[in-house]
Amino acid sequence: MALLSSILALRRDARILKLPPYLSALCILVGVVWLLVLPLNEYSRNTYVSENALLPGQVHTYFTGSEHNIFRAYRHEVAALVDKPVQERSQKLGDIFRSSSLKVATQIYEYHASGRNISNQNVYAILQGPRADATEAIVLIAAWTNMAGEINHSGVALVLTLARYFKRWSLWSKDIIFLISGDSTSGPQAWVDAYHDSHSPASIEPLSIKSGALQGAVAVDYPAGPWGHRYDKLHVVYDGVNGQLPNLDLFNTAVSIASGQMGIGCTLQRMWKHDDSYQERLQTMLRGMISQGLGHASGPHSSFIPYHIDAVTLQTVGDGWHDEMSLGRTVESLFRSLNNLLEHLHQSFFFYLLMQANRFVSIGTYLPSAMLIAVNFTITSIALWVQSGRSAPVPNPASISSKSPKPDMTVAKKDGAVTLVPTSSLTIIERRLFLPLAFVGGAHFIGLLPLYIFNNTRQTLLPTAFNSTAIFTILLPLLTAFALSLFHRPTPQETTLIQCLSLLLLGMFLSALATLNFSLSFLIGIFASPLSFIRPIHPPQPNTPSTLTTTNRKAMSAVVSVLLAALNPVVVIRAATFYWGEDIVDVLVQAAEGWHVWGLWTQVVVWLVWWPAWFAGSVVVTAGLFS
Amino acid sequence: MEQQKALLFGLAAAVRLLLFTAFPSLPNLLAGRVEISTPVTSFKRLQEGLFLYTHNVSPYDGGIFHQAPLLLPLFSLLPNPSYHPFATNFLYTIVDLLGANALMQVAETAQSVTPRLFKSTRKDLRWSSIAIGASFLFNPFTVATCIARPTSALTNLFIFLAMAKASQGASITFVLALSFASYLAMHPILLLPPLLLLCYDVRATKSKSAPNPLIFTAVHVFGLATALGVLLYLSALLTGSWEFLAATYGVRLLLPDLTPNVGLWWYFFTEMFDSFREFFLGVFWLHVVSYVGGLTIRLRRQPLFVAATLTGIFAVFSPYPSIADATLYLSLVPLFRHLFPLMRYTFLASSTILYTSFLGPAFYYLWIYAGSGNANFFYAITLVWSLGLSVIVGDSLYAALRDEVDVERPELRGKEVRRI
Repeated sequence: MALLSSILALRRDARILKLPPYLSALCILVGVVWLLVLPLNEYSRNTYVSENALLPGQVHTYFTGSEHNIFRAYRHEVAALVDKPVQERSQKLGDIFRSSSLKVATQIYEYHASGRNISNQNVYAILQGPRADATEAIVLIAAWTNMAGEINHSGVALVLTLARYFKRWSLWSKDIIFLISGDSTSGPQAWVDAYHDSHSPASIEPLSIKSGALQGAVAVDYPAGPWGHRYDKLHVVYDGVNGQLPNLDLFNTAVSIASGQMGIGCTLQRMWKHDDSYQERLQTMLRGMISQGLGHASGPHSSFIPYHIDAVTLQTVGDGWHDEMSLGRTVESLFRSLNNLLEHLHQSFFFYLLMQANRFVSIGTYLPSAMLIAVNFTITSIALWVQSGRSAPVPNPASISSKSPKPDMTVAKKDGAVTLVPTSSLTIIERRLFLPLAFVGGAHFIGLLPLYIFNNTRQTLLPTAFNSTAIFTILLPLLTAFALSLFHRPTPQETTLIQCLSLLLLGMFLSALATLNFSLSFLIGIFASPLSFIRPIHPPQPNTPSTLTTTNRKAMSAVVSVLLAALNPVVVIRAATFYWGEDIVDVLVQAAEGWHVWGLWTQVVVWLVWWPAWFAGSVVVTAGLFS
Repeated sequence: MEQQKALLFGLAAAVRLLLFTAFPSLPNLLAGRVEISTPVTSFKRLQEGLFLYTHNVSPYDGGIFHQAPLLLPLFSLLPNPSYHPFATNFLYTIVDLLGANALMQVAETAQSVTPRLFKSTRKDLRWSSIAIGASFLFNPFTVATCIARPTSALTNLFIFLAMAKASQGASITFVLALSFASYLAMHPILLLPPLLLLCYDVRATKSKSAPNPLIFTAVHVFGLATALGVLLYLSALLTGSWEFLAATYGVRLLLPDLTPNVGLWWYFFTEMFDSFREFFLGVFWLHVVSYVGGLTIRLRRQPLFVAATLTGIFAVFSPYPSIADATLYLSLVPLFRHLFPLMRYTFLASSTILYTSFLGPAFYYLWIYAGSGNANFFYAITLVWSLGLSVIVGDSLYAALRDEVDVERPELRGKEVRRI
């Protein structure tokens, strides 16, 4: 009890209020450093396969010899279909599947995003496992075109060959579905949506034949043309939509089969050269985080992951001496492993950061860094709340001239000592919450506007939309601060409360987001971190001595608001696309496609979490210009 | 005043009808959320019962429907909500507006600040009934509840009505409203002691001589028993047997359906060995009920506060709570605006509630959809949610007691509390 009351008494201590900015800064610093030490050997671990049933690489693979001739023949068949209309292509691919005595079906899909019309056709075939009861299935995918838009000649041919080859084995205890999707993102999405009956029937055809619950999916991306191309490494792509990841066991199995059994080197996150140095580990991890944070589909496998189907894409890269048969054997061995599964992959991690093909950190190790960043906002918010309950600062008695009125004093006695304390420092004043609540609510509501505009504008108008949003975003805090100063000048308390509530919400959103998409939460937290340290600059109190900040109040406000404007979401997006040499329109078109097709919600976070927080902070600072 | 009220109600109705019509998939989405729809209040289960009822099968046969039988003829009058949802949506909007109206009547009687036996020193610090009505109607939890259409919205309406009628001293309507609320949800019958005291106090203020307490109690208890008896008998007539008792109140008492919800019971009872089940059911129920006597006696002079606090306790400790119960309590709290300056953890408690109302769905998603979390994630968050609500309950109790101390011993006003 005594402890509790002494803790409560601490609230009145003036030093406590000075602490939070340092505490916030410490949180951010520790959060960033935490991330930077993760690639060290002491903090990351070697990957390992948890699920005993997988037994990666324990079977002999027989995909060799005469299968190679069949593969080459199919590759020419595929090459002959390149310029054919979609219907004819599907017909021909279906015929090849049928000739291997598989059940075949097609699916037409059509999506509309940014005024574009995305339509194509999926072909798929089901191999009924000789030992299976049609309750479980695994999927082998080859998209007709890969993420770069190239025709996936050898990948499609490999799937056709493997379908013929797998059909002859009697050991499958799960059904195997072979899917040739029309493209790499929308096609698999339409198919997997329809497989789970969650498609919109108006534009997407339902699936006419189905199998059991999908246990895993592997996509092959091998765009070598009809005369083949020997590759150097396998690039394992594992990011799902919205930053969800497949079970680490699937990734580990793929890597251990490819590198251990077949001797093919594995790489990830486009790190073509990786000699396991600290810098390269860190770079791989950061690339992984950015990809996860953006949450975009990174391959045909991405659409499966939201349905809790673990999936990876195997992509061939470089010039080397591995041929299509070693890729085929890798897939064969991988399917033999998946075939062993007794239950859904659940043993290993779902949240991890990879820094090399066989090195990772798990959520327990890395989550604190994003949480610390999110907590810094909450700390500042609590500090501002306490501050808003205090009355105006009491001037230092030494600096008051004798003319100025004496503040009310209260006699305080404690442990026999008597002192005079200004009354105002003892009372908690009522907080006027209406304007701050309405303002913060309104800021989040305005965020809906760009969200709606960017998701529903035609492609040709997107540059205009982006530029006008940029201008609007930069001018809006100025206009708002000006309008507020005209109609209802916020008191210092209300300004503090606006910032307090806005940071409280930001901290809340980011900590909730950290559990779903760590990287996005971390990145936005870093970009928003200055919002913890800005303070409104109020006109000086009548009898306080003037300091540097109060005399150059307007100049200071202007400088801070310009600095803050450089960190606004629109500017950051523009700068990021410039840095990576992307076209802003392409990014926006992708994002709109993501919204309408893949169920991407990164833009919700940007416009309804980050943007309103930045706006509120900016208005708080800009208000100094008009006070 | 009347104009403001019309504007408020019009705006609230517009928001609800707009949400219903602009997002046609929203009602079904929210109706499926475990935070809003519990096994005993869910609109989807009501539809199931309704289907069986209109096809002349006993609605309780499927083992899905656990709600009061008299709801069935009411909802069977409305057109099928899958094709013509407007009538149902309109009904729920009206239910919210009537609830707000009752809440505003409670506010206007000023029973929260100046009951018969107690004059708070801060009695001038209160919000207008419009502000209190708005805090109920525009609470996001209320709106979400209305859109999800659980039958707990009706229970809330009858609890508000019972409070309003008790604080106006209208005995008959008070007893009727309380009997309806208890008939629908069972636990509101525990509100009888404080509300009876409230009704008694108001009647004593209004008439010159206070009525005899024993006769007053006997008459009201008898009235309540009669009203409940009639409702139960009608239900038995309607369904043709008394089996509905086991399917409705039996389920609430014995917790056979362990669907997750925001409360504390389901997780305990999924983990529990069967041999301990009866014992812990007894303990859990005894715990809920024990608050009634203690609070009513200790805070005899502020009966409305006791009733409001009990709704908060139900929102935390009852077997199938949802955010509909929380919204009932949170909308009663603004009646006690005069206690706010004495409360110490408002920021902590409201931040906790805010954080959990976002983390809860996130963790539920991780558990059920992403498959990367487990039941402990969601349960941990419901624990924190309950903690937030119980901090408000505890803090407001502290404030009410402190308020009483301030009246009794004015010399202690503004001093730090310590044990004497």
